[in-house]
Amino acid sequence: MEPVRRFLRNRKSLERRVRDLEDDIQESRQLNLRLAELCDVMMELLLPAAQRDEAEIAEILNRYRQDIGDPLSWRR
Amino acid sequence: MVSALEVDDTGLRVRGDGDFPIDVAFDGQRIFSFWLRRDTKPDKDWLSLRWPPPLRRFLNGSVQVSLVDPVSGTTWIETSARLGDGEGAVRVEDRQGNPMGLDKSLRLTRLFGDRDAEQMEPLLDAMETVLKGLEAAGVEPFIAYGTLLGAVRDQDFIGHDSDADLGYVSGFDHPTDVVLESFRLQRRLQEMGFRIERYSGIAFKVIVREADGSPRGLDVFGGFMRAGTLYLMGEVGHPFRPEWISPRTDVVLAGRTFPAPGQPEHLLEAMYGPSWKVPDPAYKFTTPASTQRRLDGWFRGMRVGLRNRWARSRVEGPRPAGAEEPSSFAQWVAHQEPEIGTAVDIGCGRGTDALWLAGRGVPVVGLDYFPPDLRHAAGRARRLKVPAEFEWASLTEYRSTLVTGAELSRRPGPRIVLSRHVFDATNHVGRENLLRLAKMISRDSGRLYLQVQTSATPHSRKLGVRAFALDQISQLVARTGGRVEQATRIRENDDGVAGAAAADRRPTIGRMVISWSR
Repeated sequence: MEPVRRFLRNRKSLERRVRDLEDDIQESRQLNLRLAELCDVMMELLLPAAQRDEAEIAEILNRYRQDIGDPLSWRR
Repeated sequence: MVSALEVDDTGLRVRGDGDFPIDVAFDGQRIFSFWLRRDTKPDKDWLSLRWPPPLRRFLNGSVQVSLVDPVSGTTWIETSARLGDGEGAVRVEDRQGNPMGLDKSLRLTRLFGDRDAEQMEPLLDAMETVLKGLEAAGVEPFIAYGTLLGAVRDQDFIGHDSDADLGYVSGFDHPTDVVLESFRLQRRLQEMGFRIERYSGIAFKVIVREADGSPRGLDVFGGFMRAGTLYLMGEVGHPFRPEWISPRTDVVLAGRTFPAPGQPEHLLEAMYGPSWKVPDPAYKFTTPASTQRRLDGWFRGMRVGLRNRWARSRVEGPRPAGAEEPSSFAQWVAHQEPEIGTAVDIGCGRGTDALWLAGRGVPVVGLDYFPPDLRHAAGRARRLKVPAEFEWASLTEYRSTLVTGAELSRRPGPRIVLSRHVFDATNHVGRENLLRLAKMISRDSGRLYLQVQTSATPHSRKLGVRAFALDQISQLVARTGGRVEQATRIRENDDGVAGAAAADRRPTIGRMVISWSR
């Protein structure tokens, strides 16, 4: 009986480990989108902000906000 | 072959052998399609199919129903029926009298097959313009999915299709770079005057106006090659060779020439399987779970909860303008904070609380990601001439959270953030970003006032919000460096939930006051 029990126990633990691995992989896949968004903010906002004056920063912020989302067009 | 057909108010009953796609026509007009076995239920010696829900409102009057072979156009069987009260004739059409039908996802729409060549011209023009724009922005676009299928098979649009699909395969092979490229493409297209609705990290819809003013969306699906596999949003993950895409070739569609992948039959096989040459108006994608998981993980998750929000707005239905009283939550915040420099309502919905605060002279910014509510709120702010602004922001997009926080942190203080039943309605990214955004706005200036569900009730289930223990929220707040100043629990009755039992003494709603300092 013992080998059967061990086999069943191992199979269960393998199933659990595969499920955990899948979750872990999915979690790291999700970093791609997050990283891309941060890079976009960095390149489009922080770099220009470091180089320009107050009025232009406000304008850049405003334009960026409208560009990234606003699927509404209720303003346009 | 189909051997028998019966039609009544509930649906169709059919007899036949095998499993294959069938067109259903009303008085000769194709309305929708189904597979004989896949989409029906056995019912004694019949196969039964209920009317698709979007059709039900039209099913009143007499109608000749035919089952037609989508490949040859031969009518297999037909019968006449009187549906509903039986007055007049059944007509599936829009308000202007244009014929409508269901596409393969059973969406009610104006299908290409019901439009004449002249009506297709604006779409063809728009396709050319968007393709040129994508080309100018540095990618090599081509027509994709149903549009490519129609062009390769018949040099024309597919009759039961309703939108044009474009695609491109990025030169990058890392998902992050592919997403960044898609962000850049969106900007370039917006500079050209197009309106864009983003669906995911690498797919968006370009909305163009046709001659009659009706909006039409062109889906642009991004893709990339990685280790011998092509991934194309939203259904493809298939072993592929670069030369099957590039250099591109030309195909003819409705008399015009469009770019296509170098060897389009390979992409069509990846999209529709080896039987892509045989028309199937009821085609369902059979994307492997592993591909779905990859595309989900890399690119999706930016539109969490929107569908639920639409459902909720349908449950709540339209409300008369006069009936919009501020929540007891907003009144509580106003009482606690007599001096507010700027109030920010995260998840402002139809703006009732924001407009009430603005009416008391408080400058308010309402944030939401649900277009119909924002439009309603902005319209009321204009009419009431109160200091309220309404802005689109999405907690499941980091870019939106960061830039919204950066902008609002520059507003006059004290800056007070309100958020009522948003924490419990969004996902973990949204919760994290809600606290991040509130911290950016209120740090060293004001506080976050939060209302959440702490125990599930029939009302909370109807709204689709989860319940959170206040301790659980306090832990999350502590991780962001915040301090919980107050935490209380109230009953639904005290929050003015309609229909909540007055006798129910159980507190099911939590209120918290949170602050951050450097």
